[in-house]
Amino acid sequence: MSSDEKPAAPRSLAEALRGRDDACLAALLRSRPDLITPVPTDLTQLATRAGTRASVVRALERLDRFTLQTAEALAVAGDPATRDELLGLMAGDAGDPDVAAALPHAVDTLREQALAWGGDDRLRLVRTARELLAPSPQHPSPTGLGPTVQEATAGMSPGRIQELVAAAGLASTHDSVSAVAALTALFRDRRRMAALLAAAPADSLDVLDRLVWGPPYGQVTADPAPRLRWLLDRGLLLPTAPGTVVLPREAALHLRGGRAHRAPEPLPPALDSLTAHPPRGVDDTAAGQAHTALATVEELLKDWDEGGPNVLRSGGLSVRDLKRTAVALDVSEPLAAFWVELAYAAGLLASDGEADERYAATPAYDEWREQSPAERWTRLAGAWLAATRTPGLVGGRDAKDRSLSALGPGLDRSAAPEVRHRVLALLAALPRGSAPDAGQLLDRLRWERPLRGPQQDDDLRTRLARWTLSEAELLGVTGRGALSAHGRALLGSPPAAPAAGEAEPSGPGDKLPVHRQARPSGADGVPEPPSPADRAAAAAAAARTLAPLLPEPLDHVLLQADLTAVAPGPLRRPLADVLDVLADVESKGGATVYRFTPASVRRALDAGRTAGDLHAFLTEHSRTPVPQPLAYLIDDVARRHGHLRVGAASAYVRCDDDSVLQEILADKRSAGLRLRRLAPTVLAAQADPAALLEGLRAMGYAPAAESAAGDVLVTRTDAHRTPPRTAPEPVPDGPPAPDATLLGAAVRAIRAGDRASTAPRKPAATAPADGALPRTAAAETLATMQAAVLTGEALWIGYVNAEGAASQRVIAPIRVEGGFVTAYDHTADEVRTYPLHRVTGVAELAEDPS
Amino acid sequence: MNGPLIVQSDKTLLLEVDHEQADGCRRAIAPFAELERAPEHIHTYRVTPLGLWNARAAGHDAEQVVDALVQYSRYPVPHALLVDIAETMDRYGRLTLSKHPAHGLVLTTTDRPVLEEVLKSKRIAPLVGARIDPDSVAVHPSERGQIKQTLLKLGWPAEDLAGYVDGEAHPIELDEDGWALRPYQKQAVENFWHGGSGVVVLPCGAGKTLVGAGSMAQAKSTTLILVTNTVSARQWKHELVRRTSLTEDEIGEYSGTRKEIRPVTIATYQVLTTRRKGVYPHLELFDSRDWGLIVYDEVHLLPAPVFKFTADLQARRRLGLTATLVREDGRESDVFSLIGPKRFDAPWKEIEAQGYIAPADCVEVRVNLTDSERLAYATAETEEKYRFCATTATKRKVTEAIVRRFAGQQILVIGQYIDQLDELGEHLNAPVIKGETSNTQREKLFDAFREGEISVLVVSKVANFSIDLPEATVAVQVSGTFGSRQEEAQRLGRVLRPKADGHQAHFYSVVARDTIDQDFAAHRQRFLAEQGYAYRIVDADDILSEG
Repeated sequence: MSSDEKPAAPRSLAEALRGRDDACLAALLRSRPDLITPVPTDLTQLATRAGTRASVVRALERLDRFTLQTAEALAVAGDPATRDELLGLMAGDAGDPDVAAALPHAVDTLREQALAWGGDDRLRLVRTARELLAPSPQHPSPTGLGPTVQEATAGMSPGRIQELVAAAGLASTHDSVSAVAALTALFRDRRRMAALLAAAPADSLDVLDRLVWGPPYGQVTADPAPRLRWLLDRGLLLPTAPGTVVLPREAALHLRGGRAHRAPEPLPPALDSLTAHPPRGVDDTAAGQAHTALATVEELLKDWDEGGPNVLRSGGLSVRDLKRTAVALDVSEPLAAFWVELAYAAGLLASDGEADERYAATPAYDEWREQSPAERWTRLAGAWLAATRTPGLVGGRDAKDRSLSALGPGLDRSAAPEVRHRVLALLAALPRGSAPDAGQLLDRLRWERPLRGPQQDDDLRTRLARWTLSEAELLGVTGRGALSAHGRALLGSPPAAPAAGEAEPSGPGDKLPVHRQARPSGADGVPEPPSPADRAAAAAAAARTLAPLLPEPLDHVLLQADLTAVAPGPLRRPLADVLDVLADVESKGGATVYRFTPASVRRALDAGRTAGDLHAFLTEHSRTPVPQPLAYLIDDVARRHGHLRVGAASAYVRCDDDSVLQEILADKRSAGLRLRRLAPTVLAAQADPAALLEGLRAMGYAPAAESAAGDVLVTRTDAHRTPPRTAPEPVPDGPPAPDATLLGAAVRAIRAGDRASTAPRKPAATAPADGALPRTAAAETLATMQAAVLTGEALWIGYVNAEGAASQRVIAPIRVEGGFVTAYDHTADEVRTYPLHRVTGVAELAEDPS
Repeated sequence: MNGPLIVQSDKTLLLEVDHEQADGCRRAIAPFAELERAPEHIHTYRVTPLGLWNARAAGHDAEQVVDALVQYSRYPVPHALLVDIAETMDRYGRLTLSKHPAHGLVLTTTDRPVLEEVLKSKRIAPLVGARIDPDSVAVHPSERGQIKQTLLKLGWPAEDLAGYVDGEAHPIELDEDGWALRPYQKQAVENFWHGGSGVVVLPCGAGKTLVGAGSMAQAKSTTLILVTNTVSARQWKHELVRRTSLTEDEIGEYSGTRKEIRPVTIATYQVLTTRRKGVYPHLELFDSRDWGLIVYDEVHLLPAPVFKFTADLQARRRLGLTATLVREDGRESDVFSLIGPKRFDAPWKEIEAQGYIAPADCVEVRVNLTDSERLAYATAETEEKYRFCATTATKRKVTEAIVRRFAGQQILVIGQYIDQLDELGEHLNAPVIKGETSNTQREKLFDAFREGEISVLVVSKVANFSIDLPEATVAVQVSGTFGSRQEEAQRLGRVLRPKADGHQAHFYSVVARDTIDQDFAAHRQRFLAEQGYAYRIVDADDILSEG
C-alpha cells in the first residue's frame, strides 16, 4: 500500500488507517462490511472495531488459503517482521518464485483488510489476529510450529539455562537473557546449527524428524532415553510441562529449511481436468432440463392445486407428504424436496395461514403461469441463486437432533448464495462447453475459503458446492456439467467467454485466470453487488438466450387406436389443459403419452364438455384421423353420463295433492324460495327449511316441518390459494455488502469524526483530586480504554468490587471485549479481567510521574 | 435435432414410425430396448436393466447405446439417464460363472467388493461353496440357474461362460423339399443358436414349430420338447416327421397315455407336473437321456414347478417359443433368467406386412343385457358376475347373426362356459369340442373341419393353443378366461394362418356392455392393441339388423 510508505512510520493501526486514502478505506469497509454497522465515529473507533475478536475471526475466515498462510507465517515471525523475514518463512531457504510472486499481493490483502499494518520493514499483524493465529499449547497452529526458545524457557531456572548453553557448545554468560539470546542465535544460524546436528546420534535425528512438521509436542518419561537426553541437554527439546517436551520454533524452522508451511499454496488449484462438450449440446441439454424443471414445478403445484398437504405444527412438510409428493412427481424424495423448496423460494407456494394450515400455490403462481417459459425459468433460477434455503439438508438432523423437514425451519444457510455464485463463476470462467472435474472444483473452493483447522471433506461449504452442482444441473443452469449460455447470462457474466484453448494462462499449470477479484481482497476488491436493475437485465438476457433453445410448443397430438395420444413435444397451454382433463398422463419427458380411459373421459364431461366438443377438439388437434375405438369410447361414456342426476337442495315440500304444489309454483310470492318441481308431489327449494316454512305460511298455507330431512351439503372444489404472500427473504450472513454510495458516506462520516476527535483541544478532565475515584461517563470510559489498548498506555481507574468496596488501580488494558476489560494490573502485578460496569471512571496517567 | 426418437423420463423410448429415419433408429435401439407397444403411429420401447445387460451379453457396449439415443433423439437426452445407462451396463460382467478344472463351477469377479457384497446376501449363501481365492468362490453345479436368477435380482448379473453340454448326438436334418425356412425363421434360429439359449417370440401362425425344427437341425442331438397338451404333441410329431429327416420311430410321446422315451421326446407339461404323494414321479424324464436341447413350447404357459426343474438344467441348451410373452402373474422375468433372454422378436404387423400371416379385422360387438338380466347381474355375487354377463342370451343371437353373415366360410366359436357352448352348438347346429371330448373325437372333428365337411365348430378353451386349423377365417369369441391378454392373442392366432386366397380374417369378440365383461375385454385387447390391431367397436343392433 503506497500510503503506508510515508516517511514517519505509523505507530498504531489507527494511524496507519489515517494515512490511507479514501479508496483504500472504502475497500476495507467493502470487504469487512461488519465494520460500518453502525458507522464508527472516527478512525480510532474504526481501528478498535477492526481489532475485535469477532470481526477478526470473520475476516480471517474469508481469506484465501495463501493469504491465510501468510498471516499464519506472520504470527510466528517477529513482531514487527520485515518483508524478507516473511518471505523466508513462506518460501524457505531455497526460495520459491511462485511464493515470491504471490506474497506481495497476500501482504497487501492483509493490510487492506486491516489485519496487518506497517511498512515492509515493520510488518505487524493486529494483536487479535496474532493471538488467534500464534501457536499455543491449546490451539496448535496450522504451521505445526511450537513456541520460541525464549517463550519455552520463560520459567526455567538460570542454572538450567546455563547448562543448555554449555551443552550446545556456547560460552556461558552472566545472565539468562543473554544466554537465551545466544541459544536463539545458534538455532537461527544455519551453519552452526548444521554442525551441531551433524554430531547428533541418528536416533535423535529420527525424533526431530517426527516432530518437525508438528505437532511439536512429545511425551517423555521421567528418565528419558539417551536419544532424547541428547536433545534435551542441548535445548533442542524444551520441557513445557511435566512429561511434555516441545521442539522450539527456531530449531524446527532450521530443520524445515526456514519454511513455516510444509506446502505453501501460492497458486489456486488449477481446474485443468476438463471434459469438453460441444457448447451447442450443453445448451440444448440444459434447455431440455430447464423445460423439465418448469414442467415439474407446474406438476407439483397442480398436484397441490386443490389444497396441498398440511403444515406440521413445528413447520414444514411431513415425511409422509414428501414421500407422496415424490411418488406423484415420480422422483426421489431428496429431489422432491428440492422442487418443493424451489417453488417456495420463488414465492410460488406458501402456507395459507388458516386455522387448519396447509400449503398452497400463491397468487403469484397464477401470474407466473401466464409468463413465457423462458421468463418462468429465470424466475425460478433467480430465486434459486439468491436463496439461503438449502433443500440438501432435508432429511438430516439439526444440532438439537430434530429432523429437518422440507419447507420447515432450520434450512437457511447464509453461505449458500455466496457458494452458488462462486461455483457458477468458476464454471463461467472456463471455456464454453467445458465441464470441470468436481473434485478439482471443490479443491479450488476450499483453497479460496479454507477452513481454519483440519481439512474435512464434508464441511458445509463443500456440501453446498456439491448441492450447487447437482441443483444447477437439475434446473438447467448447467448441462452435462458445463455452464450453459443462459446460465452464463443469468450470472450477468460477459457473454464473450474465451473459446476453448484460448484461455489465457496466468499461472503455471493453470488454465484459468486467477480470480483475485472474487476473493474478498486484492486491489480490485470485491465486485460491486449487482443492483436490482443489473439483476433484472441479467434475467432478461437469460430469458432471451433460453427462449429459442426451448422446444416450440405444439398444437397437435397423435391419436392411436390403443386409446393413447402422444404429444411429440410440449403442448400449447389450452391444449395441454384440456388433454390433462380428458386423458391420464402415462409417461412424461420430451413427449407426453396420454391414455384415454372411461374415467378420464367422464372427468372431461364432468368439467362441462359435451361429447360433441370432445370430438371436435380431437379432430382439430389430431394429426391423424380419430380412431374409431376412441370415438366410440367418448360416445359410450357420454351416453351414460348424466343418467343419474345429483343436485343440492336445502329443503323440500312434499304433498300428496299435486294441484296444491302446482298452485304454490304458480304463486309469484314463491319466487324468492326458488322452488323447483322434481316430481309431481315433490318440490325442492333453495331456501332453508325455516325460511321455506315462513314463506309458505306467509302465502297462507299451513306447512309442517319434517324431521330427519336429507339436507345435502353443497361442496365446492375451488382452487385453493393462500392470501398474498411474499417469497421468503434470504437470510444473509452479517450485514449486506455496502454499495458505493453507502461506502462513500461512511468514509466521509469517519473522516469527519476523526478530524473532530484528533483536532487539538483543551485537555480533558484532569486527574481527580487525590484520593477520589476517577469518574467519567461510561462512553468515555470505554473510548479511553480502547484507545489505551491501541497505544499500550497505562490508565488509572476507579473500581468497585463485588462487595461494594471501592479501590483505585493502575492498569494497562490489553483487550476490551464483551463488557470486560482484560488488562495488566500494575497494582496487583498480574493480568486481570474487570467488568466495565464496575469501573467508576478512568483517567490517563500524568505523563510526568512528578 | 429432428430425430424420430423421444426419450422419456421413465426410460421409455417413443419412436415415430412414419419418420424417414425410423428404420435406422429401430435397428439401433433394438439390441437394448424392448418393444412394448406397436400401435399405428408411435411405437414404445422400454429400456430396462435386463435389456441393457442382454445387450452387453450380445457384445454391445454402453457407448453404442448412448450414441444410438443421442443420434436419433429429437430432444436432448437427460444427462442423468445416459449416466444411469452407462452405470447399469457397467454392472454386467463384474461377476462371471465359469468352469474350473478342480472346482467344477466357479463364480469369479473382477471387482472384489462386488463379490463381497453378493456373498453377504442371505439368498446367495446357500448356493455357493468354498472360497477358492479372494476373487472366486465355488458354486454348486446344480445351483447354476438359481444363482444366476438371484444375482440378477441383486442387480449384479453374472456372465455365464460355463458353456453347454453337447448331449447325446443324433442326426437331424431339415427336409427342405418344396418349402424353405422363411427369412425371419432363419434369423430366429441363428440368433438363438448364437446366443446359446433363449426365447423366440413369433406371432401365432408364423411358424414357431419350424423354428424349433430348425434349431434341432442345428443341435443335431437328442431333444426334449415340452408342449401344452396331447393334441399339440401329436401336431409337433406330425410336423417334425414332415419337415425333417426324423422318422415316426425316432419321436416318442410322453403323455398321460403313452410313456415313450426316444431320441426326440415330446412331453406335456401336465404329465411332468403330476404329483403323487408329494413327489413328481415323471421328473426322471429330464435325466433319462443326455438331452442336448430342450424346447419349451408356449413358454408363457410354463407352470411354476417346471421353472424349478429348469433351474437345474442350465448346462443344456434351452429354447423357449411363444407368441405372447405376457403373463398375468408377472413372471416374465423368470422366463428370461431361467430359459434365457429374448433372442428374437417380430412385431405381428411386420410379419403381416411380409404376408406370412393374414390381415385381420378385429371387431368388438357390444350387446346390451335385457332388463331382467341387468337386475340379475346387479344382485349377483361378485364371483358369479362374470358368468352372468358373459353368457347373456343376446350374445347367442349376435353369434348366430355373425355365423349367418359369413355362411360358407370356416368359422370357430370360442367360449369359456360349457353351458353356453352347448346351447350355441345346438342353435348353430355345430359340434362342440370341450374338455370331456376324447382325443380321437377331437382329431376327427378337426380333420372334418380342415376338410371343409364341417364349417362351424364350437370350442372351449381346450383349443386355445397349438391346434392347427388352417382354413379358419372367422373366429367369434363369446367369453374368455377373465382378462387374459395372451388368451385373446392366441385366439386371434387361430385365424391368422395365411389364407389360400389371401383374404382377410375376421375376429369378433362379443361383449356385454356396461359390465365387468367389458372391463375384462378392454384388458384382454391390450396386448393386441399394442401390437397394432385396432379393434372396431360396433353395437349389437348393427349386427342384428344386418343379419
